[in-house]
Amino acid sequence: MPLLSVTDLVVRFRTHEGTIHAVNGVSFDLEPGETLGLVGESGCGKSVTNLALMRLLPKPAGRIEGGSVMFDGLDLVHLPESDMRELRGRDVAMIFQDPMTSLNPVLTVEEQMVETIRAHRQTTREEARRRAIELLEMVGISQAEGRLRNYPHQFSGGMRQRVMIAMALALEPKLMIADEPTTALDVTIQAQVLELLRRLTTESGTAMILITHDLGVVAGMTQRINVMYAGFIIETATTEKLFAEPSHPYTVGLLHSIPRLDEVRPEELVPIEGTPPDQRREPVGCPFAPRCAWRLPVCWTDMPPLVPLDPNERLRSSGPEATHRVACHNRPTPAEADAGRPLREGFTPAPPPHEIVEELAPTEEVLA
Amino acid sequence: MGATVAAPAIAAQDRASRGLWHDAARRLLRNGPALLGLGLVTLFVAAAVLAPVIAPYDPIAGALADRLKPPSPEHWMGTDLQGRDEFTRILYGAQVSLQVGVVSVFLALVMGGTLGAIAGAAGGKLDATLMRVTDVLLSIPGILLAIGIVAWLGRGLPQIMLAVAVTNAPIFARILRGSLLSLRTADYVVAARSIGATGPRVLLRHMLPNALTPLIVAATLALATAIIDVAGLGFLGLGPPDPRTAEWGTMLTDSTKFLRQAPHLLFFPGIMIVLTAIGFNLLGDGLRESLDPRLKR
Repeated sequence: MPLLSVTDLVVRFRTHEGTIHAVNGVSFDLEPGETLGLVGESGCGKSVTNLALMRLLPKPAGRIEGGSVMFDGLDLVHLPESDMRELRGRDVAMIFQDPMTSLNPVLTVEEQMVETIRAHRQTTREEARRRAIELLEMVGISQAEGRLRNYPHQFSGGMRQRVMIAMALALEPKLMIADEPTTALDVTIQAQVLELLRRLTTESGTAMILITHDLGVVAGMTQRINVMYAGFIIETATTEKLFAEPSHPYTVGLLHSIPRLDEVRPEELVPIEGTPPDQRREPVGCPFAPRCAWRLPVCWTDMPPLVPLDPNERLRSSGPEATHRVACHNRPTPAEADAGRPLREGFTPAPPPHEIVEELAPTEEVLA
Repeated sequence: MGATVAAPAIAAQDRASRGLWHDAARRLLRNGPALLGLGLVTLFVAAAVLAPVIAPYDPIAGALADRLKPPSPEHWMGTDLQGRDEFTRILYGAQVSLQVGVVSVFLALVMGGTLGAIAGAAGGKLDATLMRVTDVLLSIPGILLAIGIVAWLGRGLPQIMLAVAVTNAPIFARILRGSLLSLRTADYVVAARSIGATGPRVLLRHMLPNALTPLIVAATLALATAIIDVAGLGFLGLGPPDPRTAEWGTMLTDSTKFLRQAPHLLFFPGIMIVLTAIGFNLLGDGLRESLDPRLKR
């Protein structure tokens, strides 16, 4: 049985400017101890998905409007707030993007760590303090006992993220959600922090959801990847398969827009043209269609379902044998994926149907 | 939330001085106008506290033979209608002003702070209702509201304190609510909730200490207004019930009848009110600048 099972999750924000369709029916499973990458550009709903799992969406605008989240046999969508609070930190912990702002500036690290521990465990202050020292040593902070008395501003960015990791691991959670944990750090520190995260989650058997827009980060860290676009999962596969055989035009685009050092003959980078869709509009058709070089007329009107690449394969939704699934009407062939553009003779992307030409006019100009 | 929780929270703030407060103090000491303000406030507080020690005469009993004397080596600021030493009465007047100012601003902080914290934490309809009430209070000129309250509850120092507090409370409520609202989405607040901290705990331990800075500045500035309000009430005849009490505003009123014979009786209380108000204003502005790292000098 999976540790976490998300089915058809729908999250919308009701604002004065209208409804924002942030997450539009996302489903995925996570095994105990598994590391899952959630990849996509800013605003694609990856952070919102996880805030929804924790039920920490900004109130009152953000609401889970559909679907279910089962965690360890509990229905997180309908769990009473008091039980949810018990669960946060103890069973599910989070690491945030910016270590500069995710620690309270007026409390010492000791006070914040001890608070975390004592919020869930009946221990004395002294025991909690010893545990905090142990945790700081575990994440590689020297002279932990002295550093406990320091305030967040007395730590560097990398050190603060280590403190955050120590706090997240304090109660040995079953699931850790790391939301862009290294985006705000120096490149040299990034690798250290990622390595630390991987080592500690592997040692403790903690499952992890790693949210990032950096394919380089997920490549080395995760066993499985969900690629998200405009609130949809558009491709999911084990990390190995996804990199070997990217099958959604967006994934292909992502892979072609990052430089690779191991390329024998360096190609030019191919950017993904255009901008993500306006999520204030109810999604119609494939959200990637306006930017897609492979699009067919049907792409403008129907969102393709997330189906196995190989229709004969038995569906597995999680674990190392997970089925490679993709949501696309016109999948790039391996050769096309390699080239980063359609190679079929005489193929041109389908023009938008008349009824939405006007609405999409600015995007079309960008493409032309 | 018992005393056991409150105690470490206060200790935490004391130790935080090494960080935010230490830096702020350094910036304050480099700020000329703020230093001047600090000097004036220190003089004022010293005068109030040390009045019984340094005052050369009795503030209430006078010698009628010495009435309305101009300033002289014996009476630095002259004497009033009853022959009482004006300098002594100025010192004792500072005592009244300080007492009323501090108590009323503290009361205002408690009332406004509670309202603001409830509004900021609860949000929604409760927030809207409370804020409309503060809007109504804010729309009435402060001194008019204070006169109304003293007229309603009768003369007396406690009534004056309450009146001045009520005029300041809505301002504090607005400020605290504003800072709490902006903190609701701060990363460390979401982080605190993500580790399972309870609502009151997030509010008291993570949000309030970070929202206090603007309130401290506002309180310092409010002390200036409070002192003017107290003097204003005294001037309008709504001062302390005992007419013998040395109070700057009352002293001003009493002196108007002898403007030609003894202008010093108008000058000294007036200049004291002005200097004290300027002192608190300069200090408040300086505090605002030094507590905000973005306004580095």
